[in-house]
Amino acid sequence: MTGEENVIDPQGEPAPTPAGPQLAVIPKSPGFWKEAWRRFRIRKLSMTAFVFVVLLALVAIFSPAIAGTKPIVVKYKGRLYFPAMAYFNASWENPIFTQDKFRKRYPKNLEEKDPESWAIWPLSFNDPYRRVQEEEWPGRPGNPTQVDGKPSSLNWFGTDQRGVDVFAQMVHGSRIALLVGFVSMGIASAIGIIVGALAGYFGGWVDTLLSRVIEVVLCIPTLVLILALLAIIEQVTIWHMMAIIGATRWTSIARLTRAEFLKLKQMDFVSAARATGVGPIRIMFRYLLPNALAPVLVPITFGIASAILIESSLSFLGFGAPPPNPSWGTLLSAGRSNYQLWWLIVFPGTAIFLAVLAYNLIGEGLQEATDPRLRDADG
Amino acid sequence: MLSYIVRRLGIGLITLTLITFIIYGLIRNMPGSPVTQELSQLDPGKAISQEDYERILKSYGLDKPWYVAYGVWVKNVLQGDLGRSFSRKRPVTRLVMERVGPTLLLSVSSLLLTYLLSIPLGLIATARAGTIEERTGSTILYMLYSFPSFVAALFLQLQFAVRMGWLPLFGMVSDNYDSLSPFGKVSDVFWHSLLPVTCYTYGSLAYYSRFIRANMQEVIRQDYIRTARAKGLGPVRVLWHHAFRNTLIPLVTLIGLTLPTLLSGSIIIEQIFTWPGMGRLFFESIRERDYPTIMGLTLMFSVLTLAGQLLADVLYAVVDPRVRLEDK
Repeated sequence: MTGEENVIDPQGEPAPTPAGPQLAVIPKSPGFWKEAWRRFRIRKLSMTAFVFVVLLALVAIFSPAIAGTKPIVVKYKGRLYFPAMAYFNASWENPIFTQDKFRKRYPKNLEEKDPESWAIWPLSFNDPYRRVQEEEWPGRPGNPTQVDGKPSSLNWFGTDQRGVDVFAQMVHGSRIALLVGFVSMGIASAIGIIVGALAGYFGGWVDTLLSRVIEVVLCIPTLVLILALLAIIEQVTIWHMMAIIGATRWTSIARLTRAEFLKLKQMDFVSAARATGVGPIRIMFRYLLPNALAPVLVPITFGIASAILIESSLSFLGFGAPPPNPSWGTLLSAGRSNYQLWWLIVFPGTAIFLAVLAYNLIGEGLQEATDPRLRDADG
Repeated sequence: MLSYIVRRLGIGLITLTLITFIIYGLIRNMPGSPVTQELSQLDPGKAISQEDYERILKSYGLDKPWYVAYGVWVKNVLQGDLGRSFSRKRPVTRLVMERVGPTLLLSVSSLLLTYLLSIPLGLIATARAGTIEERTGSTILYMLYSFPSFVAALFLQLQFAVRMGWLPLFGMVSDNYDSLSPFGKVSDVFWHSLLPVTCYTYGSLAYYSRFIRANMQEVIRQDYIRTARAKGLGPVRVLWHHAFRNTLIPLVTLIGLTLPTLLSGSIIIEQIFTWPGMGRLFFESIRERDYPTIMGLTLMFSVLTLAGQLLADVLYAVVDPRVRLEDK
């Protein structure tokens, strides 16, 4: 995809076109990545998308503080606790609340067992895993179920069939969306870069063999391979899904890395490194990879979008992690069982769309900011 | 060229063997077998004896280890026999024949629509490049391109089938289909296919028009376009005769790559609209652990994918005399 002019010396700075005589070297030109960031920043849409992803990440990180039934901070019997952390990992729930038989109902228990206590509550008092009962919070009615669960001031995005708040599920589901994107693409990039680097650098039979492997994986329809792999696992968790998505989505990364390495290994700086006795592993990962990274980052970004898409469609088809699993796709499939509950389709559907769009826009911006052909066009 | 094709076919055969071997191994190692799936559907009190169980396993060829059974499967395929579906008790070939029609109905009409709409859209975008309308239009198309088709399917169902009640929610035909007149039958299928065809089309429409625009943008910077303009040709003639013709080459490659998607259908769209096509057949056969059907479909998809790639490369060489097909 990238042009032949993609000549970058090992320090990662763009060099002038190869053949032309180097007349004057501008002292201290901005580095490649700094320049790319400058070019990325001037693209409004990509920048908006970037801000959106950062916001999404913040929502994911602070999800227990946005929606939950556990206080963020509580002063109980003279000590400070952070019960909301239990949403990240159930075992982080402070043992004292289990001993005192809170049974996950904080507001009343706190008042009864320690009138002196105070607490800071999440923005929306709703649980992503269960229905909030009547009077659980003093004066608050229980969550409505079925068609009564329209969006309201208590349940901003409505409630699902069982009365579980949709907003809370979506906020906590953003953690899954974020993790799926990064973890599965992390796995895919590791596999793709290693396979592509080996094939491109060594060439010969290694290349033939690895290229065949890439072709085989590429030819199996993704969903087929994923469904077949998922079916083997007895108890599917979200981590299995990430591993499987990662293990099947690396082919485009491998192909691009291979192409970049094939091109780059002809460069003089590689011959120079080899002549000074640098080993192949070091050449591959210290000399070649940094120069091949920019074009490889583009399919990785698009891959994040497609990983989110695959996870939500698998959850939608019922192949995802078992409930309670507040994935956006699971919410959508709940909406499909009763179209009267339009809020179960509209809000998660929009969330999936925006997340996918954002990563695609970032990928697009990255491509235009780092591709030298496009850079020369507007520069 | 011939030696190139022969070589590619040889490599393709090896790839095909590898793919089917991997998939066969995977599905045979899924928990549950077609026999247990079938029995659980029957009366649970009617537990069968161990002998009966083994007899059934043997009749399905499931008593052998999977790599041996794979050999048997390959042998049968080479004799043109894809086997019989376990759960439907019918030959896989016939099942595929039944399901391919509905899928083709969706994919072919969507492909035609895509070409009919995306070429003018791409050309208009080129002609108006840089104007406000063009930028807005391109942004909308890009958003459509990122819009997940299953979300779009649900939104469309919600709006046009549930709220407005204009279109049927799912299925390919109405309940009273058999009693309809021939014209009524056609229009019944037409109304049912509107939403799925839309879901199939909008994404590729966005992709194709962007693709055409990007290629056109490259071409109109060429000298011969400037020459054409300089000798006084009208903008339409320049765009259509001089520029667009030269963007056909990359389009040709795309055609080759769409070949497999024409027949494979979309699992998720067909599932949402309960459309009796290939994607749904595949989905059901995975659930039912119907090994022969899964294998038959995998084989078909892989053959089509490989053939599509080969076709794309060969077509590329045919339309562009500068490209030579050689052995690397």
